[in-house]
Amino acid sequence: MDGSAFRSELRHLLEENCDRVLLRIALSPELGNPVELTGADILSRAQELAKKFTVASASQVVLLLLPHSLELFLLHLGLVLTERLPAILPWPTTRIDPEKYQRNLLHQLRHLPARQIITLPLLAKNLCPGLPYPATACAIDGGAEYEKGLAISLPLELGEQPDAAGGTGEVPPDALFLQFSGGTTGAQKSVVVTAPMLTEQLERLRQILGYSASDSVVSWLPMYHDMGLIACLWFPLWQRTPSLQFSASDWLLKPDLLFRFMERYGGTFCWLPNFAFSYLAALRGRMKEQHSLGHVRGWINCSEPVRLRSTKSFAEAFGEWGVGMESLQASYAMAENVFAVTQTTLGRAPATFPRAHLRHRAAEPDQHAFDLIDDVYVSSGQPLAGMEVRIVNDAREVLNDAQPGEIQTRTGCLFAGYWGSKGFITTSLTADGWYSTGDYGFMAGGELYVIGRLKDIIIVGGQNVFPEDIEAVVNSVEGVYPGRVVAFGIQDPEYGTENIAVVAELRGLFDAKAATALERQIHKLVMATAGIAPRHVAVVPERWIVKSTAGKISRRDTRQRFLQERLPPRSQPV
Amino acid sequence: MPDENAIRSAAREVVASMTGAPVSDSDPLISSGLIDSLSILKLISKLESKLGIAIPTDNLQPDDFESVDWIVETVQRVATAS
Repeated sequence: MDGSAFRSELRHLLEENCDRVLLRIALSPELGNPVELTGADILSRAQELAKKFTVASASQVVLLLLPHSLELFLLHLGLVLTERLPAILPWPTTRIDPEKYQRNLLHQLRHLPARQIITLPLLAKNLCPGLPYPATACAIDGGAEYEKGLAISLPLELGEQPDAAGGTGEVPPDALFLQFSGGTTGAQKSVVVTAPMLTEQLERLRQILGYSASDSVVSWLPMYHDMGLIACLWFPLWQRTPSLQFSASDWLLKPDLLFRFMERYGGTFCWLPNFAFSYLAALRGRMKEQHSLGHVRGWINCSEPVRLRSTKSFAEAFGEWGVGMESLQASYAMAENVFAVTQTTLGRAPATFPRAHLRHRAAEPDQHAFDLIDDVYVSSGQPLAGMEVRIVNDAREVLNDAQPGEIQTRTGCLFAGYWGSKGFITTSLTADGWYSTGDYGFMAGGELYVIGRLKDIIIVGGQNVFPEDIEAVVNSVEGVYPGRVVAFGIQDPEYGTENIAVVAELRGLFDAKAATALERQIHKLVMATAGIAPRHVAVVPERWIVKSTAGKISRRDTRQRFLQERLPPRSQPV
Repeated sequence: MPDENAIRSAAREVVASMTGAPVSDSDPLISSGLIDSLSILKLISKLESKLGIAIPTDNLQPDDFESVDWIVETVQRVATAS
């Protein structure tokens, strides 16, 4: 389906469902009464808004920098309908430091040769002088509240538009919108999603989920993430079924809103990152209302490695409301493939694979460690129809079952390239069309198990050590600030291997004596659990560990800070 | 309902127990990373049990807990007897 046919089909489905509610958007302070939009409402209001605010021409990129609002959803859809290419930028949350956010925004704007940005009035005013393209003000209800935290003068002087030399300078035909791929360094890449890619993904997802007219989706996921944009907005809309959208910040303080909406609107699918399962389970005690959730077909764990203890705790906490392990599903997805690559089978709990049976050279944690981390990997399911997954080693040889290596995929909706400062740059696939994901995992029984990011693995004397495992162990140490632990590898110039370094934040007032005692304790524990002694353990004051603009801990930047500030000169890597 | 002084004193105590570090009443808590946004509900629960009140979160945002000063203002605005 080409771009023109896609837009015709989108118009057609909205007209066909002119009286049917296809989109509900819950907005604070009226969360209990979401705005309801029928097909006719979406069609008329989306096009009207696009007409009102757009100055860019057809096939040009328009950046959307707006908080959760009616305008964000409608402008995205309206720009697609009117042949512009919307790209949704992340709206900052309270967790994000304004200065870091500003830096990231500058970075992104420098690398995106756009033709317009639509944002709140204050930001439009701040950005306008520094941009070589128009910054258009779009006021929203309650916008002043959002602008409070951004009342800073942005010293943006971007100068000339980056030229398009080096790439084609033009997006591929049939492009619909851009979406950002995951990344914690601020250097996110934008993927051009075309009509053939999107329709292929949405159809394959429909098939594997057995999604029908009686299904619907509830989501608090942000629209700048593929899980929010594709799985929770485009997927239900394209299937002519409703979705309900509320904001991440509302979910954070009112987590039971998710269950209330799932129950009230009969939501049957909900995509969540792994941490959300643990968070919801931990807050069960605060939830006063009872809910009936037995109708939910899939709570799909996606975008982080799936932890069995998270899904189990969720099923235990909400079992009395009808949540069973068979409804807890998993998926492996990436923006480069529009969304899903694999999906578990609905109606049965995802398969697990014992860590001890994995045929790699990793140091095996001993039994003590099994008390602290899962002793199994959880399956992310089988490839969707028409999609292939394989595992390769460093020599690019295809590996057998239970042998971990880099995950490669070849699908009918794989991206053709990134859109950046040099325009559209075709990506490098293998000669026979495989894309190397940079993720590490293995296949077993036709299903994919994801272990983590390949670049984070520490190789010590030929043994693979996963930083996630070390961090899980150190997190359990009394005195360590939970969640503020980073493990990484440092090249050993003498022996040509890597050494393990662990940085952990001390909870509370920093005390050098206590830090030293804790360092010894961590050293011993890692030795006892991973079987390899860390070369460096540093217990540091709170807030020492570097976080990304998205609020996630950055291994790369923390490693860099450690090398600069903590590593003795004789140990510096060459 | 507890008065402002009692709320402030409880807020300082709860915040100190969660950050492990002394903070002034105007120090940013969430945007600075001193308190993780996933811990805000924990903070609310501790305040509720310390003050014997209920803090309904229906119309609240993470920003409402950005500092001890903001916590005091928020609790005075929305809290009810438990």
